[in-house]
Amino acid sequence: MTVYRGSVPRPRTAAELARFGPTLPEAAIRVQAEAVAADLAAQRDAWRKGFTRRRVLAGAGAVGVASLANQLTTTRVAFGAPATTKRTLVVVFLRGGMDGLSVVVPRDDRNYLDARRGIAVPTGALVAGDARFGLHPGLAPLTPFWEAGKMAAVHAVASPDASRSHFQAQDCLERGAAATSVHTGFLDRVLEELGPGTTFRAIAEGSALPRSLVGGQSKLVLQGIRDFDLQAGGGMREKTLTALKALYTGVGDHPLGSQAAETLKSIATARRIAQSGFQSSVQWPGGGFADQLKDVARLIKAKVGLRVAAVDIGGWDMHTNIGGPDGGDMRNRLNELGGALAAFAGELGPALDDVTVVTMSEFGRRVEANGNSGTDHGHGGVMLLLGGGLDGGKVHGRWPGLAPGALDQGDLAGANDYRDVLSELLDARLGVKNWKKIFPDYERRKIGVFA
Amino acid sequence: MAQRRAASRHRAAQDPLGPRLARLVHDPLSPRVGKLARAGEPTLLKLVRNRRQVIIGLGAGVVATGAVGSAAAVLGGGDGISAALGDAATSTRTPREAGAFADRDASYTQSLGDSIDLGAAGLADTASAAAAAAAKAIPTSPNLLSRDPILHMLRRATFGPTRALVDAATKAGIDEWLEQQLAPATIDDPVAEKALEAFPTVRMTTAQIRRTVKEFDWQAQYELGQATLARQFWSNRQLFEVMVDFWSNHLNVTNPFDGGWDVRTSYDNDVIRKHALGTFSDMLKASARHPAMLRYLDNAASDRRSVNENYGRELLELHTVGIDGGYTEKDVRNSAYIMTGRTVSNDGQFRYEASRHWIDPVRVLGFKHPNPSRSKGLEVGEKYLSYLATHPSTAKNIARKLAVRFVCDTPPNGLVQRLADTYLAHGTAIAPVLRVLFRSKEFWIATGLKTRRPLENFVATARALGVAPGSDTRAGVEGLYWMTQRFGQAPLAWVPPNGYPDVAAAWRSAHATLAIWNAHRALVQGWERGLSYPKVEGLVGRRPATTGPYLDSLASRLVFQKVAAPHRKALLAFLSAKDGTAVRNGSLGGKVEHLAPLLLDSIYHALR
Repeated sequence: MTVYRGSVPRPRTAAELARFGPTLPEAAIRVQAEAVAADLAAQRDAWRKGFTRRRVLAGAGAVGVASLANQLTTTRVAFGAPATTKRTLVVVFLRGGMDGLSVVVPRDDRNYLDARRGIAVPTGALVAGDARFGLHPGLAPLTPFWEAGKMAAVHAVASPDASRSHFQAQDCLERGAAATSVHTGFLDRVLEELGPGTTFRAIAEGSALPRSLVGGQSKLVLQGIRDFDLQAGGGMREKTLTALKALYTGVGDHPLGSQAAETLKSIATARRIAQSGFQSSVQWPGGGFADQLKDVARLIKAKVGLRVAAVDIGGWDMHTNIGGPDGGDMRNRLNELGGALAAFAGELGPALDDVTVVTMSEFGRRVEANGNSGTDHGHGGVMLLLGGGLDGGKVHGRWPGLAPGALDQGDLAGANDYRDVLSELLDARLGVKNWKKIFPDYERRKIGVFA
Repeated sequence: MAQRRAASRHRAAQDPLGPRLARLVHDPLSPRVGKLARAGEPTLLKLVRNRRQVIIGLGAGVVATGAVGSAAAVLGGGDGISAALGDAATSTRTPREAGAFADRDASYTQSLGDSIDLGAAGLADTASAAAAAAAKAIPTSPNLLSRDPILHMLRRATFGPTRALVDAATKAGIDEWLEQQLAPATIDDPVAEKALEAFPTVRMTTAQIRRTVKEFDWQAQYELGQATLARQFWSNRQLFEVMVDFWSNHLNVTNPFDGGWDVRTSYDNDVIRKHALGTFSDMLKASARHPAMLRYLDNAASDRRSVNENYGRELLELHTVGIDGGYTEKDVRNSAYIMTGRTVSNDGQFRYEASRHWIDPVRVLGFKHPNPSRSKGLEVGEKYLSYLATHPSTAKNIARKLAVRFVCDTPPNGLVQRLADTYLAHGTAIAPVLRVLFRSKEFWIATGLKTRRPLENFVATARALGVAPGSDTRAGVEGLYWMTQRFGQAPLAWVPPNGYPDVAAAWRSAHATLAIWNAHRALVQGWERGLSYPKVEGLVGRRPATTGPYLDSLASRLVFQKVAAPHRKALLAFLSAKDGTAVRNGSLGGKVEHLAPLLLDSIYHALR
């Protein structure tokens, strides 16, 4: 097959794509393989003419070039100018439906205080916040970041397609679409837009891949960078790795050879990170969530090309005994969340400016407390943001209020679409402008949470 | 309320549906709901437009995937695939013509297939004759895998050779062994049958499962996935299990998923297993009226007033003619119309609701029907499915997928055409196609050209080692099932309807490679309790006196061949030994439990 130089047609429809292979996955692979080959050829061409690597990258569709001089593993190619590539997005999914009204609390709101009799957070107990809202005292560790403009919130956020089912709502949020024909997670599509990267460009902390990352882009599921290792005990680890390297030498140009080499390199990188005597510059709280965030912070500081990280924290489904400002389930959860996020931000220090943390939850809770000092599944909730580039220290978004007429079936209305927040984030921070591709069937509305 | 409170305390993927949603899942579409949906009333929409089919998605329980391709991802992304397109000089077709019919089929594999020459081609009278002819020819892609035809046959027609199986197949000879495998009912299967007793729901009907399993609980689905693994490990009906795997992917209904809690097991038994070596036409028609499929692809909610195109589309795109069939969006719509009315009753049984069936003339590709009567809508569907099953594009689609599974990632067009012709000549029967496949020289010359996907690698490892049922087979297999989730290929768990990819490039992933290397160690060293793991030091049988021959024996035992000289040297270096170093004890001073995994990590086990 000869290779096109210069501008080349690309398949715009499934029918066109399908010409390149008997089934779409194979056609996609073939097309991408040819893309890599053509781009490498184009790059060699460009270099011969004296272009710098940087300028080549700045051109459209830089494909096979490993921008971080590390292993290149993506098998999918994104078209379009590559986005700013040194920033990181961390998505924290609060599983269970976080009660936004208890976290970002409307000050002196009669409707709130009446509906939440017994479990309302009194205005006097609130920390940080702005003129209209204050934060639950459980988030006190984050106050310095809020006041420094490195943290913000968006209230009354929901997906119009989410029901009150945990499962369905999480699923449609993580897929970024209601239509069941959308199979990949939205973060997978983000990765596709970001273009090729290193082995460590997308990680999920935990043992399973979250729905938002399901798809064709390469990613790692880590249970801590320490565990990303060959489990060869008995002192045989080094010899085993040496043997593995040798076993995959002398296999001709079989792709398994380079795949094994890639794997061995990632193990080596992970090991270097794990052994680098990582000294935390802050005091980290305990707990699984903090450990996972610490791992992410470590990877960011190790500069291994991490672009997207996904972390989960559960326990938000507080139907009973939500507790008060000084103790109870909500206070405990927020302590854990706030403490870990504050440590994360502190650990990164100035590097925080290149990071954005965003929290998502499948829905908020009902405005009216239930009979068990808790709340049931609702609709509109809160998204918290932490990192650089924010119009921080404020609560953003359209606020519909809590007057009975403004509620959606007794729930805080979803006056803002969660995709408004995410598409703004992707645009402002990662340079991903093709939000139509990330969120099909969605019309963007501005929130203004990024400066 | 109380049950919801108690149930929703945990964030596991098995959250039961709330009672209100559950009722709606099983209710036929309420017209009021549909009207409200169309009215675009946003606030009501939020409550009312719940996923009546809670289909795809596993919440936190999704498999960890490496770099896997997905047609759905490709399509969902619109023009998300960039291309510096290769020169399609072998075809003069314009993109518009890509939507055309019939004779366009050849151009598909033309640019890929015809130029692929494996070194031998054509049909022989018997499988063994084809094998003999291929043995004399020179493969165009030589590799390190042994070309021994028995080994090759076992690597392709089973989930991995075992010492006993190699002996049995050698004794029977190629032709007889294959014929035996094509008649699975005549093969005794004591080990697998006994192991399946640990998974009682796999033999149950939908009604029985509904009485046994807690509502919406995924227990039966997990048992199905685990039983599938057990069967791949231990069944003697290996070719049958390979075909079950093949068809499960072709007519994929993910497992587990919310809508499958009661019906997914029956799908495995009554659609896939029942017809795996039967006819595709029967299998397709069975799938088109199975509750699992209808829920999974939204057809159970589709209604003439609010048609859901998901199933109608995938029926064309994935199950039958494929994009290559040249269907248009109008065809998709009509396909969905024809399928309206097929839904699921409240107790998980198929039901045809005439009132939901769309009437008036329909047309899809070359299929036309006046479709005048609601009560006769089911028959129109059956005629349509017959048309699709026997469509030449379907034949080509299935033939190619079979060739990819059994021969190589880019199979020669001559082979594919031959298989497609056989498929049509035998009324979509599958066994004749397999016989022609095994009589094809292309099959026999393609030694070592397939890369084992993670699950295949895993099962082949367990088989080579001789892992067997043990004191707690259920727990043991369960543990291994969760291991397969870690490397991203739990049985039946691929989420979109297009099934697991079957080409090597889709599985390139540092994570998956590392996970499978670790799985080798877990299996060799018997980390998971409950099954019976043979002692590593016993693997070589009669212990050779020196290290070199010990290594060769172990290689022969685990990868069924000698390894190349440089690799042998590397392994001796690993043992800090030389060829003639005496072997003092069976475990090589404890090193054999690290040596065995290395052999399994090597390319000799990674290819098939």
